[in-house]
Amino acid sequence: MGVSVPGEVTKEGQPAPPIRSFVDALRSALAPVTGALRPLEVDTRLLGMVAALAVIWIAFDIISGGTFLSARNLWNLSVQSASIGIMATGMVLIIVSRNIDLSVGSMLGFLGYSMAMLQAVWIPQSLGLGFEQPFTWIVTLLVGIVLGAAIGGLQGFIVAFGGVPSFIVTLGGLLIWRGLIFRYAQGQTIAPLDTTFQMLGGGTVGTRVGALGEWPSWALGAVICVAIVLLQVAARRRRRRYGFPVRPMWAEVLVGTVTCGVVLGTVWVANSYPLPPNVAEQVAAARGIPVPPGGIPTGVAFPVVIMLVVTLVVTFLATRRRFGRYVYAIGGNPDAAALAGINVRRTIMLTFALMGSLAAVSAAVQTARLDAAVTNLGVQNELDVISAAVIGGTSFAGGIGTVPGAILGAVVMQSLRSGMVLLLVDSPTQDIVVGIVLVAAVGLDTLFRRRVS
Amino acid sequence: MRRQLAVLATGFTLIVSACGGGAGGGSSPTTAASSSPTAAAAACTVGVSWNNYQEERWAKWDEPAIKAAIAAGGGKYVSNDAKSSAETQASNVDNLISQGAKVLIILAQDGTAIKPSVAKAIQNGVPVIAYDRLIEDPKALYITFDNVLVGKLEAQAVFAAKPKGTYAIIKGNKADANADFLRSGMEQVIGAAVKAGDIKIPAGAELYTDNWDPSKAQTEMEQILTANANKIDAVLSENDGMAGGVIAALRAQGLAGKVPVSGQDGDKAALNRVALGEQTVDVWKDARLLGKTAGDAAMQLCKNSDPSKVSGTATFKTPGGNSLSSILLTPNPITQANLNDVLSAGWITKADLCQGVAAGKVAACG
Repeated sequence: MGVSVPGEVTKEGQPAPPIRSFVDALRSALAPVTGALRPLEVDTRLLGMVAALAVIWIAFDIISGGTFLSARNLWNLSVQSASIGIMATGMVLIIVSRNIDLSVGSMLGFLGYSMAMLQAVWIPQSLGLGFEQPFTWIVTLLVGIVLGAAIGGLQGFIVAFGGVPSFIVTLGGLLIWRGLIFRYAQGQTIAPLDTTFQMLGGGTVGTRVGALGEWPSWALGAVICVAIVLLQVAARRRRRRYGFPVRPMWAEVLVGTVTCGVVLGTVWVANSYPLPPNVAEQVAAARGIPVPPGGIPTGVAFPVVIMLVVTLVVTFLATRRRFGRYVYAIGGNPDAAALAGINVRRTIMLTFALMGSLAAVSAAVQTARLDAAVTNLGVQNELDVISAAVIGGTSFAGGIGTVPGAILGAVVMQSLRSGMVLLLVDSPTQDIVVGIVLVAAVGLDTLFRRRVS
Repeated sequence: MRRQLAVLATGFTLIVSACGGGAGGGSSPTTAASSSPTAAAAACTVGVSWNNYQEERWAKWDEPAIKAAIAAGGGKYVSNDAKSSAETQASNVDNLISQGAKVLIILAQDGTAIKPSVAKAIQNGVPVIAYDRLIEDPKALYITFDNVLVGKLEAQAVFAAKPKGTYAIIKGNKADANADFLRSGMEQVIGAAVKAGDIKIPAGAELYTDNWDPSKAQTEMEQILTANANKIDAVLSENDGMAGGVIAALRAQGLAGKVPVSGQDGDKAALNRVALGEQTVDVWKDARLLGKTAGDAAMQLCKNSDPSKVSGTATFKTPGGNSLSSILLTPNPITQANLNDVLSAGWITKADLCQGVAAGKVAACG
């Protein structure tokens, strides 16, 4: 880096750069807070992001006259964030291992197109099996995921074993996969899709709703809460066994309560969004019950359920499996990782394969939501996904980044976008705001981190 | 960086079009032999600059029709694709001229940004046909379906279904003059009712959509429904792709089929939605007719580069104050009542049109 970096050691006698003194002042002002948080062992940067999100939400809510924080808008927001969030989890691992994937938007388009063709043309017409088969959606999804892993893995293979920089390989991928769509789709929109498949997008078809409904949503929340508590207990035991210090009990309880509170709060919001009256009438008629006075709760949308499952799985891979440890080790210091006996190439290739399969899951969500595959599906999604990961605290220097942070980053991005649509901000201004937020978030984060180290 | 990419892209298109030219060459002897009277035009090369293949039509309908018309006139076809970039299109136009094009057909990505390239071409004695989208140059020949009329037909069908109520208007790309032509046609139908207060368009319920993107249109419609507590009675969507996004958003609220929605282009998916009753009207512009008209006009321009001498032209006043020669074709609004028009024209198969339509509900589907 040939640029002068503010915050680095200044020569004796020179006044400190203004940015540095500002950060210092901010840090000393926040010192009591960070000190009090230490026993909680919570990532302070994650907390900063939550605070930023809260500010954004409250500001939008006030300006929009209470529409932004309505259950309905939050429900929409959760669905709109899901597709970017799903891919951001994979992007974290890619960036942590000091690579980049610019092809995710084009891969998403290509995979979405292939899955649409499979369910709308190949299975029903070419194979003559007919429309609306019960197996169509799952076959389509599985084929998409396998295909995604294959093309992602191919790119990863060229990066890891061919030694071509990932920026170049995936830049090529960005052009190739998009080009392939144009080539074999000839600009045609593929629609309509299988109605069961459409549920993956959180939409409504007749009386079928792409959401869990009231009680299953609560059950999901309860299961996640139990899992959180069990994980805490297990982690505490493990630390005791190896003689590591444990959190004080009050801190443990506080962290558990807050995390559970967030999960159950989300379920509560999703359940306070009643089905639209038209849909509710049909659903009630189908169940043979009158419409309840408060309406029928919608519950957590399937795209959000998918995002939660993906988050859990990728977090588990990243923190509890050898694969994840390797990824972080490689990102921290690739040479040391290789000398320590880690199969660096294989690990890198696997991160790209994982990214490809996550692009397939997102493609399923996006095409299902639109009930169509269009040729510009996923255009510029790579920018949103990378921004989400980076706003969520993933560092381009490698070795640093968390999956929940990336999800939070995706929610921040989508909150800004859909909030601005609600406030009638035109799209060029939206881009400007998102751009500024991206640079500011990473800039502040870099300053703080440099002071810490 | 950008320039390098553009050069790469042009290089790529050159290769592709070279391959295309080779494949087409096989069939040209027959046409050349059968059209000996047009021997003067036999050497005439027509260059077509496409802006993109994103929408369901250019490659499928327009290009073959143009190719056929040019082949019938004994000319040669070359083309390239700008992939939605105005910058790339500018270099593509120069490229076509250096490939020997004597007439240009341009589907403009941006009707203003392309002006310098067009002016340069015309100065060099290469006449330009503004294909489907307006180019503000008084010497260009503008061939299109009457887009103001398209907007009018879209609005008429929706207005007939909902003469009073709250309207949302989903417009296309701001840089595309068609978005405003369509809107002005709509105004002819609903303007009086808006003034009288019978039709309301709430703040924020009329907006442009970047690149006519269906997913963006879906998010826009979701936010419009949220902001207005679902009290939207009709939606004027300027094309079929965006209508698809709008209807997906309506369906989530159980409103698909209850709220009239317009569209244009004759997309297969959209015609299916018309049959299903989810989309009120799909204004169909037979792209083959447009392509043939442009191809024929190009062959006439080979002989005489004055656009006003091309048969069937009239003078067209542009929003920018220019008047140029134009050929405006008449579109056909497709509703459930006349679905047979697209079937009998071979535009869509019955299986595609009627997928999911219950028996006995729609006449065309039986």
